Amino acid sequence: MSVLHIAEVTKTFSGGTHAVNSFSLDVADGELVCLLGPSGSGKSTLLRMVGGFEQPTSGRITIDGEDVTHLPPERRPTGMVFQSHALWTHMNVFKNLAFGLKLRRMPAAEIREKVEAVLELVGLAGYGDRMTNQLSGGQQQRVALARSLVLEPKILLLDEPFASLDQHLRERLREEVRDIQQRLGITTLFVTHGQDEALSMADRIVVMANGKTEQIGRPDVVYRDPKTPFVAGFIGTMNLVEGEVKNGHFARSDFSFPLSIADGPATLAIRPEALDLTVSETPKAKVHRVTDYGSHGLVDLDLADGTRLKSMVAHPDLFRTGQGVDLEPRAVAAYRNNQQIFRS
Amino acid sequence: MSEFVERAVSVPAETAAGRRPIGLLLVAIPVFLVIWLVIWPAINAISRTIWRTDADGNSSFDLSSYAFFFSDRYSLDNLAITLWTTLVCAVLLLVICLPIALYLRFSHGRLPAYVQALAILPMFVPSIILAFAFIRVLGPNGMVDILLNAVGLPKIRTPYLTPWGPVIGLVWDNIPLTVLILLSGLGSVANQSIEAARDVGANTLRVFWHIILPRISNSILVALSFSVLGIFSSFTLPYLLGPASPEMLGPFMQRTLRDVQDPIGAMTQAVVAFGFCILFGLFYVRSVAKNRGK
Ligand SMILES: Nc1ncnc2c1ncn2[C@@H]1O[C@H](COP(=O)(O)OP(=O)(O)OP(=O)(O)O)[C@@H](O)[C@H]1O
Ligand SMILES: [Mg+2]
Repeated sequence: MSVLHIAEVTKTFSGGTHAVNSFSLDVADGELVCLLGPSGSGKSTLLRMVGGFEQPTSGRITIDGEDVTHLPPERRPTGMVFQSHALWTHMNVFKNLAFGLKLRRMPAAEIREKVEAVLELVGLAGYGDRMTNQLSGGQQQRVALARSLVLEPKILLLDEPFASLDQHLRERLREEVRDIQQRLGITTLFVTHGQDEALSMADRIVVMANGKTEQIGRPDVVYRDPKTPFVAGFIGTMNLVEGEVKNGHFARSDFSFPLSIADGPATLAIRPEALDLTVSETPKAKVHRVTDYGSHGLVDLDLADGTRLKSMVAHPDLFRTGQGVDLEPRAVAAYRNNQQIFRS
Repeated sequence: MSEFVERAVSVPAETAAGRRPIGLLLVAIPVFLVIWLVIWPAINAISRTIWRTDADGNSSFDLSSYAFFFSDRYSLDNLAITLWTTLVCAVLLLVICLPIALYLRFSHGRLPAYVQALAILPMFVPSIILAFAFIRVLGPNGMVDILLNAVGLPKIRTPYLTPWGPVIGLVWDNIPLTVLILLSGLGSVANQSIEAARDVGANTLRVFWHIILPRISNSILVALSFSVLGIFSSFTLPYLLGPASPEMLGPFMQRTLRDVQDPIGAMTQAVVAFGFCILFGLFYVRSVAKNRGK
């Protein structure tokens, strides 16, 4: 039973950078929350404040009701996995894992037992005698994870732990971490700027921009219903079209679409898979390029004023470059002043 | 077999025929200098101290100069004071320089930059100037005495012309190099590995002992052997600041050669000093090799 509570936390660095700006988040017991955002959005800073490596300028962080805001890292019940594994190269794998337990004055037999159990958990049974430089990148990250897990922290913090690994390994480790996290039921905060990582692992996603929350929600909800144009553009591929609404019609260049909202400027968001194309005699857009991915195709189109759109089609062989096509959005969302004002 | 080797060797030699003389020349100069200035005098000194020519012109194997050195109370005292000075300096250097290097490595801002400049400064001050500055400040009726006198306190017992005189001078003189070597060693300790240690519950002292120290033990070894070798055979500072008796081997040799006019005695002292330096060197090489093997 471990709950993380972050209330109105702000971090201003000495240079005046507002890395995190009045950020609040509650993480429930056993939940895995992903912090997702572009580079420089303050994800690492936030995580480091939870781990105790940075002091918040203001705000409060509590774990299970206990205020840890001003505790140093060594006295917090958190375990952190760093981006570059940060293993201690002068110790072998066993000693890396045993170090924290030794500091807690645990008897040697018990340490051995625990270390072997956790090595088994991360799939590295029998690797205790290896030096850290005799491991592959993926194995090193597993040791780093095991080093945190062996201390049974209340909150597990991971800062882009797989960023330096290749795509294949990343996907495998992602699943392993998710399995372990669910098996142990450990409350986890996970930083990534890979949206597929967030979408596939998280119970909830926090999309951050400029140190602030843009949207918090379940991955499928955030994907299907982005609440701000930033989230719409950041999660998945999205066509964002700026235009004018007049008399219940959104218009941009030759493209117009019935939209029953008040007149004024608006941004229309359409997923490529929700934009249908038909070959037409009175075209609104021109095919720029067709890419066949086998299972589906992606068509790049240009409106008359050069605005580029993407459409996902089932039969890419129906279209070729230069062809005129008509557009038929099936589902759209509209934004004005950074707020969602319409969704179909 | 040897034919094969010859051919194998001659192939690259032909292609690089033009570059070869220059390469050989570049290597030859330092090799020649080392042989001329170090190895030859060393062999010469050793042979002249053990193959002695007697009054009749017959040369024979004779260890009497060494027997004298190791039985003479005065020589042994000088050797002892040299070893004592070297040891005390090494300990003091470590105690002073490690905190400075740690501070420089782990703090940010402008103050550390000034501290670093200050720590490196002695490197640009010649020993002679350093010695006279020392005398003017800590010597009899020096600045400290004058200041103490001004506020009505008794004079200090000046370290000038005591064994502590050379110790203070040599430590000051060796701070820059020691700090720089330790600092470069600390540069290889990643911030994240320190944060990871704090994360698993290590306080500052434990982080230093278990994470930082093992990573910089080689640098400490390098720094200490550099300064130990220099201090052991130093001349200027012990000559200007140290007591007349016992004296360190540097001034002792100089006096034996110039004042006592006993070249064989001076050479014997040099060979003994050389032997100790080789011992330090062997210890250093062995420790580094052991660390590497780990
Ligand atoms: N120690 C520091 N001093 C000053 N500014 C800092 C410091 N650390 C981070 N920042 C600034 O704070 C902002 C947020 O940085 P942070 O590392 O949290 O971003 P991030 O979301 O983790 O980015 P990335 O995805 O690239 O890791 C950035 O603008 C960064 O320049
Ligand atoms: Mg980061």
